[in-house]
Parts: sequence; structure tokens; C-alpha cells
Amino acid sequence: MTTTRRQFVGGLGAAAGLVAAPGILRAQTQGVYRIGALCPVTGSGSPFGSGMQKMIGAAADIVNAAGGAAGRKLEVVYEDTQTNPQAAVLAAKKLIDVNKVQILMGTWSSGVSLAVIPLTNDANIILMNTSGAPALSTPPANAKGLSYRYQATNDRFGRAFAEICVKEGFKRPATMAFNNASGIGNTEGFRKAWEAKGGKVVESVVYEPNQPTYRSELQKVLAANPDVIVTGSYLADTTIFMREWYQTGQAVKWIMPGWAASPDLVKAVGPDVVEGVISVDSVSNENAPSYKAYDEAYKKATGQPGQANVYAAMTWDMVHVLALAMEAANSADTQAINAKIREIANPPGQQVFSFAEGKDALKKGKINFEGASSVLDFDQYGDVTPDFGVFFIEGGKLNRRYVVKI
Amino acid sequence: MDAYLAAIAIIALIYVLLSLGLTLQYGLTGLINFGHVGFFAIGAYTSALLALKGVPLILTFPAAAVLAGLSAWPIGLVSLRLRDDYFAIVTLGFSEVVRIVITSEKWLTNGVQGVPGIPRLFEGLQGFAAQAATLAVILAVTIVAVWMILRIAKSPFGRLIEAIRDNEEAVKALGKDPASFKIQVLIVGAAIAGVAGAFYAHYITYIVPDQFIPLVTFYVWMAVIMGGVGRVSGAVVGAAILMVFLEGSRFLRDIVPWISEVDMASVRIGVVGLLLILFVMFRPQGLMGDYTKR
Repeated sequence: MTTTRRQFVGGLGAAAGLVAAPGILRAQTQGVYRIGALCPVTGSGSPFGSGMQKMIGAAADIVNAAGGAAGRKLEVVYEDTQTNPQAAVLAAKKLIDVNKVQILMGTWSSGVSLAVIPLTNDANIILMNTSGAPALSTPPANAKGLSYRYQATNDRFGRAFAEICVKEGFKRPATMAFNNASGIGNTEGFRKAWEAKGGKVVESVVYEPNQPTYRSELQKVLAANPDVIVTGSYLADTTIFMREWYQTGQAVKWIMPGWAASPDLVKAVGPDVVEGVISVDSVSNENAPSYKAYDEAYKKATGQPGQANVYAAMTWDMVHVLALAMEAANSADTQAINAKIREIANPPGQQVFSFAEGKDALKKGKINFEGASSVLDFDQYGDVTPDFGVFFIEGGKLNRRYVVKI
Repeated sequence: MDAYLAAIAIIALIYVLLSLGLTLQYGLTGLINFGHVGFFAIGAYTSALLALKGVPLILTFPAAAVLAGLSAWPIGLVSLRLRDDYFAIVTLGFSEVVRIVITSEKWLTNGVQGVPGIPRLFEGLQGFAAQAATLAVILAVTIVAVWMILRIAKSPFGRLIEAIRDNEEAVKALGKDPASFKIQVLIVGAAIAGVAGAFYAHYITYIVPDQFIPLVTFYVWMAVIMGGVGRVSGAVVGAAILMVFLEGSRFLRDIVPWISEVDMASVRIGVVGLLLILFVMFRPQGLMGDYTKR
């Protein structure tokens, strides 16, 4: 306790010096292309963030092992968004201004992506994200066409839910949504698609997070006597209301996003409760060789199967798309790369599944990269339309019955 | 590097503004306000929504201050009879109410989807010039706020609110009514927080209820405590220290290269926590000294 103010200020000065020094040491090096990996390593995205980050690094290693892209080695600089827009803005500023990265990738929550995108637009660099919010597709967010989204929009999830309702012959759907952008995005997307088909949603309930019980919300939904309940929910809340619904004994089917109706849910509530629940998730491009390569890399890096983290498959693809576009443009200039991204990812062209393969094929003509997360065909907004797997929970197992294309 | 430093400076100055409001309320008057983020949120949404309706920013900033200030008035009335801990609970509740209202009133605030595309200060200027101009404006506003609070502290009003902090009963015995003074202090502090909110909205350009969680309030408290309670200079210095800890820790990477990239994110947050703990252990009175304890 005897530190004098002078000593303390001195210490602070030394600390500030330490902070400032590395920035000076970093100079632009020739023959290197810098990627800014901005993933949610801490905060609510933390179950996915570290895997996403590791796959950016692993994919960059693969590209470098194949001789780099457009004659350049990829170098990755990492920052954590903390799943918090304010922290993400400062992290993005640091990556852009101090580390001089030439692209940002891996932002996860919509709030973070929407806060970071004005910065990447200002700096004229590309942002590759895995967020669901529709606002990211259009101006002002995507005014410069520099944003690429590797995840299905919440809207598309809703459309997939509506397709399943038709296929399964449901007539009286109701919805239950967790009160955040993603939860409501799912159920509103469903409502739009369902009403476009001439159907009617008999009841929609929005509930607040972190409640110990969802009885009153459930009662409201069940009172409308639906034949199926479509949810935009997460694991923790789904666990609670599924248990409470089971106690009511009222027969109804459920359609849920895959992040809620997961093997963890079965473990939490027991197989009897969730028997027959329909779980919907964008399917990774599981039969493609690109998925196999990703799966191996993910296992090696984390000890878990690649299926555990769909977002990591997306960041894996981000690096591949970037590297192939650089190769096609034979340049590290953002505009040149941006002009080539759809060309190498969308048809027509020879299907390729890895960077080395694509690099060779580019010498002969057009290519169409098929990713690990989806076939990766970007529309005019930079959005992808993955296929959706429809899983039925049967005897505690998730069995994929069919795939819905929208 | 310049633009990054400017960004840090802007965020730090936003925290300085918030800390100034809290210094007035807690440091000088002794009101334990745990709901500071509520006023910050009201300022941010007011200015953002007005600006998106086409109101020029020169008007939206005062509107943010006025509305945030006015929102403090009913809380003042309700909680006049409450001292210390009870007041803290009411204010904490208030900030949560604000957040839930923002979340629920979709017609106005777009709910959980947030408000994207908020116009920036100096839309006309490009790149670094815009940022430098923003920094200059917020710096000017902060200097005015510091000057204002210094004036308040030195005025008879300032002596009176400090007397309320030190011994409310004695103030009553002298025939003064502490209630009206407390309300005035609350309103001024809230108005400053409202201005901070407006700067935040127009700087980040995207606001969503998730950004206005109680954590922000406690960041401000940390800044005030580290700077030195009851010291205007403490509010400024404390916010600066907080930013040095939070942002400086990003460069740990360059000092300890043997930690893996993924672990680094968690290590960094751990280090920030450790620094904060060490700071208050070895300097419990704050860097500038705790004026209230003299």
C-alpha cells in the first residue's frame, strides 16, 4: 500500500509504452495478405468462436502450404468480439488501422456485424459474416456490396419451416419466439412464408429470456389448439418449456431450429419428451470432399466432429473463397477480389472442393467452389441459400428424413 | 494507428462524460445511482431516432440531453424518501425498465432488431477527417462538462450537495430541503449521460437493447472508483485507466507470444480483471485520491 503517486504514474507510463511499441514494429511486408479474424471467442458466442477462429487459421495454413494465393502468403491476425458490438468496433478498428488487415471475417452475432460493417465499408475492405439479420443484405449496411454472409438468413429458416409444414400436412401452426433478433426473425420469416401460401398462424407468443418457467406462454399457445408449434428458441429455454408442455399432456407437434432441438436437448429432458420433434438446421455440405477436409481439420484442432460447429465450417469456407478469388484476380486488391468472388463460388464452372484443386483448375477456365458449409452460391446481396436438413427425434436420436430446398 | 487511437479516445471520452455525471451524483452528492446506463440508453435512442427522421444533429443532441434529464425527474420524486441502498435498487430497476421498454416498443425502436444506419457526425467528411472532427467535438463537449461540474462543485450549491453527502440530517437541521437538490443533481447527471448516449449512437451507428446492460453502469463505477470518488479529475483519469486496461490488453499478444490465439481472448479478459483488482487493492482511494474521505 506504500506505492507513491509518482511511482504509480511511472508504472502507468511504462505500461503505455509497452502498449505503443508493438504498433511501431509492424510494418507492411511484401508478399503477405493479412486476414483479420474477428470471432466471438468470449461472450454468448463462445461455444462457437474458438472453433471458428481455429478453422480460419487451419484453412490459411492449407492455402499457404499450396503456395499461397496470388503469390502471397496469408497471415491471420486474431481479435475477440466478446459478442459485444462496442468491443467489436474497437477490435475491428485495431485490426484495420494497426494490423492493416485487408479483409475481416468471422463476425457471428448480427449486432456485431451491423456495428462493424460501417468500418469495413469506410476502409473499402470485405466483411465475411455468419449473421442472420436481414438488414445486413441491403443498404445502408451493404451499400458497397462488400459483405458476404455464409449463414442462412433468419428469413430463409422461416421459409424452410413453412415448407416442412406443408409437407407434413399441418393446418393450424402457432409460433413461440425468444425475444431477440434471431428468435423473432425465425418465426416472422415463417409467418410471412406461411401466409404467402394462404395459411394462417393461429397464435404467436414472444417470450422474455431467462425465465424460470414458461407456463403462461405455453397456456396461451396451447389454448389456440394448434396442430404444430414452430419455435425460434434456444437450448436453455426450450428445455424448460418442453418439460412443462409434456406435463400438460396436450398432443401437439414441434418444429424447432437445430441449435435448440439438439442432442443436448434430448439429454436434458429425456427421449420421451422430445419424441417426434422436428429439428431443422442448415446442412453442411456433408457429402462433399470439402466437408471431409474440414471435418478432419476440425477434429484435429478441437477433438470434436465437424458437425458440432456449423459456423466453423463457414469460416473454413471464407478463407477458401477469399484465396480462390485472389488467385482468380491475381491480385490482392479488394475491388479485384470482390469482382471475382461470385465468379469462383457460383456456377457455371468446374466444381472444385479444395484450394489446390481450384488453383489448378483456374488455369484452365472457370470454377465453382463447393464449400463445406453449403454449395456457397452468393446472390446479388451476398447471401447464400443452403439446404435445410429435416431431422426427426426418434427414440432419442436425431434421424434425418429429408432435405428441404428453398 | 491514428484512427485506432482516435477511436479509443472517442470511446474513452464517452466514458468520461458518463463518469462526470456519476461523479456529480455519487461523488459529490452521495446518491448511489446503479441505473446510469438507463439515461445513456434514453439519450442514444432519442438522438438516433430523431436523426433518422431527418432532424439535424445540432437539435438531436440537446433533445437527448433534455429527455434523459426529464426521465430522471420522476425517479427523483419517487425515491426521495429512499436513502443509499434503497435508492440504488430503484435506479437499477429503472435502467432495466428502460431496456425492456426499448425491447418491447417495436413500433418506435425496432425492438431487438436494433436501429441500424444511424447518421454519423460529419457525414460529409471522409475517413480520418470525419473521425478527427468527431473527436474534436466530443473533446470540446467534455471540456465544457468538466468546467461545468467544477463550477458546480465550487458554488454554494456544490457545498450544499456535499453537505447532503456527508450528513443529510445536519442539512435538514439547518433548514434546507435536500430533496429538491437531489432531484436537480439527478437531472444534470442524467442529461450528461444522455449526451454521452447521443455520441455513442452516432459513433457506433447501430444500437440495440443488448448494448445497454447494467455492465455499462458498472464500467462507469469502476472508472469513478479508480479515478477517485468525489474528484472531477478522478472521473477523467479513471475512464482513461479503464480504457488503457481494456484496449491495452489487446497488445498482450505481442508480449506473450507463447499463448495460443484462442486462449488469448480469455487470458486477456482475465488480465483486465486482475489489473482492476490489483488497482483497487493497492490504490483503494483511487488515483487522484478520495475526496470524500478527507
